[in-house]
Amino acid sequence: MSKIMTVDILSSIKGAKPSESVNQLFDVIRNAHPTNNNSLNNVNINAVSVDDLREDEVVKSSDLERQIIKENFPNEKNGYLVVSKVIED
Amino acid sequence: MESQIKAIHQQLVSKQITCTALVQEKLDLLKQNTHNTVNSLLEESALAAAAKVDAKIAKGEEIGLLEGIPFGIKDVYMVQGTYTTASSDLLKNYKSAYTATAIQKLLDAGAIPLVKENCDSFGHGSSSENTIFGAVKNAVDANLVGGGSSGGSAVNVAKDYTVFSIGGDTGGSIRQPAGYNNIYGLKPTYGRISRYGIMAYASSTDCVGPLAKSIEDIRIVLNVMSGKDGKDQTTYASEAIGEESIATIDGVKTVGYFKNFIESDAIDTTVKADFLAAVEKIKEKGIEVKELDFFKSDTLVSTYYTLAMAETASNLSRLDGTNYGNRIEDKNLKETYAVTRSENFSEETKRRVVGGNQVLSQGFSDAIYLKGLALRDQIAENFEKDFQEVDIILSPVTPAAPPVIGDSLKDPLAMYLSDEYTVGFSLGQLPTLTVPQGTVTGLQITAAKRNEEQVLKFANFLKDTL
Repeated sequence: MSKIMTVDILSSIKGAKPSESVNQLFDVIRNAHPTNNNSLNNVNINAVSVDDLREDEVVKSSDLERQIIKENFPNEKNGYLVVSKVIED
Repeated sequence: MESQIKAIHQQLVSKQITCTALVQEKLDLLKQNTHNTVNSLLEESALAAAAKVDAKIAKGEEIGLLEGIPFGIKDVYMVQGTYTTASSDLLKNYKSAYTATAIQKLLDAGAIPLVKENCDSFGHGSSSENTIFGAVKNAVDANLVGGGSSGGSAVNVAKDYTVFSIGGDTGGSIRQPAGYNNIYGLKPTYGRISRYGIMAYASSTDCVGPLAKSIEDIRIVLNVMSGKDGKDQTTYASEAIGEESIATIDGVKTVGYFKNFIESDAIDTTVKADFLAAVEKIKEKGIEVKELDFFKSDTLVSTYYTLAMAETASNLSRLDGTNYGNRIEDKNLKETYAVTRSENFSEETKRRVVGGNQVLSQGFSDAIYLKGLALRDQIAENFEKDFQEVDIILSPVTPAAPPVIGDSLKDPLAMYLSDEYTVGFSLGQLPTLTVPQGTVTGLQITAAKRNEEQVLKFANFLKDTL
């Protein structure tokens, strides 16, 4: 896994390059001096408590929901939903 | 302005108007699309719902306060069977398979959605120009931007095309367009309203909120949408806010404002003078006003955008054209992904996705992403300390008046920096309301977490004071 991946590959966007405007924002962070570099996220706690987890249940989608999901599928042939050719390399 | 919801409710109940006529009138206005606020109209379903309300009234049945009230929805919310495009080429033919929790609650209360509203694509923008449906025009001056990203929602409310609209606010996307169009816009505390069914931009700061012309309408809609939802485990249970409880200023004794916001080089001289004049009027009413220290604007903006880009890169990675979206086939799966995303994402969306992947990549994540998280913690801690000293923080919404259409897209950095007064409160996950008073783009009222009641209370006070 030592292969270096460029941002165009990471982003799946052809010819993508880092933006000068965005890099200027990153430079501000690079030069900032937070009192503690390890975020403990001790202020914005949003995770649900383990005592309050929702029931793990399977809910069957409605017929309408299923129909719309199929309609949204980009390609269909002879009643089959067609996906792209799988990765060959 | 008094509650439009209550006024219309009264007109419906007393049979001064029919719901069908009301809905038809609004649809006719929206159809003209004079300000590019409309992505799609929900004409058929709206008229059918209106007919049901009229039938109920004709039979002498009681109707709820929101029953028959026409509203708009930013085009990032799932509403089953409607086009939900996020103003993007990629999803221009995408239909929602299910309905967002917040919207479902409004539907259950009988409110009638009329329109999916124009916005910056995937919420990526502060002007509603980053859209395939044409730049949203400002309600006050059509040469200016409508603000963003919930620009279509703000303009529809300001022009009375909708009674209220539901926007989304990640870094200011409800508050800034509300300010640009002189209406109210609330970003509630993170977690007060379920995010289930909103197209995710930056999940740690995404908030659902109302835009309306009165504080009372904001209160009514907020109460209906709030609450714990098993489908969004960051939500919490909250009490409904009563009308009486926000009628008086009890409990607000001290107001603070950030000195560096007002001393910033970026602030327009008129905005600064108007803000300070508002502060003086508040003092005259016997409220103590304190100057507070805060982080520099460039730190706030950079922290926000670093984290938001990282999250949006992750959230938008699902948009590859496999199961939905405008797939463009190429020689293999990887190429299909890449061509689909390259051809269908706007320049601004690509900039943010690439920035996010930079932030999250090896070598960058420690130097930038983790540092950004640490800064967010410090910002949030700073707010906690501030709210031990003051009850309310008051700030301008934007440093200047809305820009002319076309100017913001030329300089992305300037656009990011124009969010300097809104992003901090997003990082702090605090309830913040834009009110159309004080400066040309209004004022922001912020209270401690979960204290929307205090925010609305102070808004009522400002309405009578400024």
